[in-house]
Amino acid sequence: MMSNSIKVMAPIPGVFYRRPSPDEDVYVNEGDEVKEGDIIGLVEVMKSFHELKAEASGVIDAFKVEDEGMLEAGQEIAVINQK
Amino acid sequence: MTRYEYGGDEFIFVELSEEMTLQANFKAKAITEELRKRDLTGIVDICPGNASYMIRFMPEDIHPDELIELLKQLEEEVSWKEMTIQSRIVDVPIFFDDPWTHEVLMRFRDNHQDPESTDLDYAARINGYDSKEELIKAMTDAPYLVSMIGFVPGLPWCYQMVPQDRQIEVPKYVRPRTFTPERAFGFGGAFAVIYPVEGAGGYQLFGTAAAPIFENEQKNKDFKDEITFPRQGDIFRYRSITREEYDEIREKVEAGQFEYLIKDFSYKPQDVLEDPDAFSEDVIRRLYK
Amino acid sequence: MIKVIQPGLQTTVQDLGRIGHYEVGMPPSGAMDTYALKVSNLLVGNDEDAAGLEITYMGPKLKFEADTLIAITGGEIPPKINDEPAGMWETLSVKAGDVLSFDFVKSGARAYLAVQGGIDVPEIMGSRSTYTLIGIGGLEGRALKEDDELKIASDKNVNVKAGRKIDEDLIPKYSKEHDIRVVMGLCSYRLTEESKDEFLSTEWQVTPDANRVGYRFKGAKMDFVEREQPFGAGSDPSNVTDQGYPIGSIQIPGGIEPIALLNDAVTGGGYVTVATIISTDLDRMAQVKSGEKVKFVAVDIEESLKARKEMKDKLDEIRKQLA
Repeated sequence: MMSNSIKVMAPIPGVFYRRPSPDEDVYVNEGDEVKEGDIIGLVEVMKSFHELKAEASGVIDAFKVEDEGMLEAGQEIAVINQK
Repeated sequence: MTRYEYGGDEFIFVELSEEMTLQANFKAKAITEELRKRDLTGIVDICPGNASYMIRFMPEDIHPDELIELLKQLEEEVSWKEMTIQSRIVDVPIFFDDPWTHEVLMRFRDNHQDPESTDLDYAARINGYDSKEELIKAMTDAPYLVSMIGFVPGLPWCYQMVPQDRQIEVPKYVRPRTFTPERAFGFGGAFAVIYPVEGAGGYQLFGTAAAPIFENEQKNKDFKDEITFPRQGDIFRYRSITREEYDEIREKVEAGQFEYLIKDFSYKPQDVLEDPDAFSEDVIRRLYK
Repeated sequence: MIKVIQPGLQTTVQDLGRIGHYEVGMPPSGAMDTYALKVSNLLVGNDEDAAGLEITYMGPKLKFEADTLIAITGGEIPPKINDEPAGMWETLSVKAGDVLSFDFVKSGARAYLAVQGGIDVPEIMGSRSTYTLIGIGGLEGRALKEDDELKIASDKNVNVKAGRKIDEDLIPKYSKEHDIRVVMGLCSYRLTEESKDEFLSTEWQVTPDANRVGYRFKGAKMDFVEREQPFGAGSDPSNVTDQGYPIGSIQIPGGIEPIALLNDAVTGGGYVTVATIISTDLDRMAQVKSGEKVKFVAVDIEESLKARKEMKDKLDEIRKQLA
């Protein structure tokens, strides 16, 4: 079966968060299935939070950025393997 | 020694004194008013400060060095002690130890120098008062000079007109709060302030002003001409009020029927400097007569 | 009319600012990159101070309901009209029903969109600029939201045609490392000589706390000359008696993490200020992103005036090219 991987890129620079707030669980883990439009993380910049959404349905193959790491605009954040 | 400093190519900043004094404040007022009268081309903003002032200008119209020369000359020439200040005495009702600032100051306890205390108890203790009630009495007994406006639109820095040994002085929060409620009455250094809108802030929180000092909708009388109320040189008397009076004032404000108690008043700096206590008594008598 | 399909991260209406009210604590607001806004206006035949949109990091998606001319300048956030790539720094024609959208930011941080006639929002204290902190100016005093509708003004405008461009060498290039020129001063007497040197030699990193109010930096700890704190200043060595902050001034609360104050700045306060960014380089500050590096380069007042003159000449040259 062919699988197609989609890269999730940072649309804006900022701090990457994998969880909605410090004491909550991560949105998704590596290996989890996501649907298009699901939130997979947040980018904080200018005191506001921007939701990162899965651009396709599939399985999260890997996160390329640490939780709470600095992001540059256009940087690869995660890879989704489409089925 | 006065310091004349460039603030980039569009500002001149003049520090008349490192410490806050009424003398420096009156001098800054005298110089900036004289500059305003001259109505020079290229002057964009004239901002009198607490013990300093700042001018924004267009260097195409006036070279910064030429402006500095002029300001030095004005500093020599102005007879600030004898100038007449056209002022307003204003009754400013404050609900001290109110539930709203209390909730916020408890929430930001970790940002404070004394997490075990409250802002009022802490300030009373370090200023040598036995109770917060005594501190509130001292803060409301004598009126304040609105010595500078800024930070955000309309915020008045207020300096109490008492001899320096009776000035209340408190530190700012160790780490600023990310939230301060609208109309919070705060104290930092030797200055009392009212926060016009909610936002970040580092002053000790003592209470909430019942009436606005900033009103975007301009529905109450004192905001018909401008969205901000305080003017530099005003004299504010902070008056401690009960929850009942607070609620009454809030109702009036909401209905657009609030009006500050204001008395027009003119005075000379020497009146304050020679006998601050007599000056304060006179101000309060005129306000409520 | 322009319909907002998606607002972008922070898109606001800005002109050249609310000037002359600093005394009551009213910051100027206005376009952070004035050069880019002016050029975009000139490209569509507007007066250079007409209101346009300031687009930050991530562009909006806008639908035009009438034929008009537009121009996009500033940071490279590549525009697309009906999903086809469109040029920046040139006069573009759009038809009723066309949709303008943007790709990810490539360089710089803020793009400017001018529309023939200017954006029509009420003037507050002489300006249409948005100041979100107190909710005045722009569209209801806030950044754009989904489903907003922007009216087009018919401000003074000369007739121009699509396809106009300016010379390549008049288009700024934005890198990830920035030399920002400052005039040292204000209360720099509070810094030790070592810290003054270090302030200028440090490569400061812009933190995520960077917006229209100010940019916060990380990089070094600054030390202050020891003194007994003056009366009224407050107890921290970085406190001064509360005073005015020039636009572009750099303050250092607690000696850590300097903050450069920008268009929506707080106008005064009790933290020591040590330098001021020169006016031409405020435009360049507007194109600095969180995470990028900034070095402050000290210049004297004459150099700052020379830079200012060069900027004026550049704009004169553009006016000539577009005339």
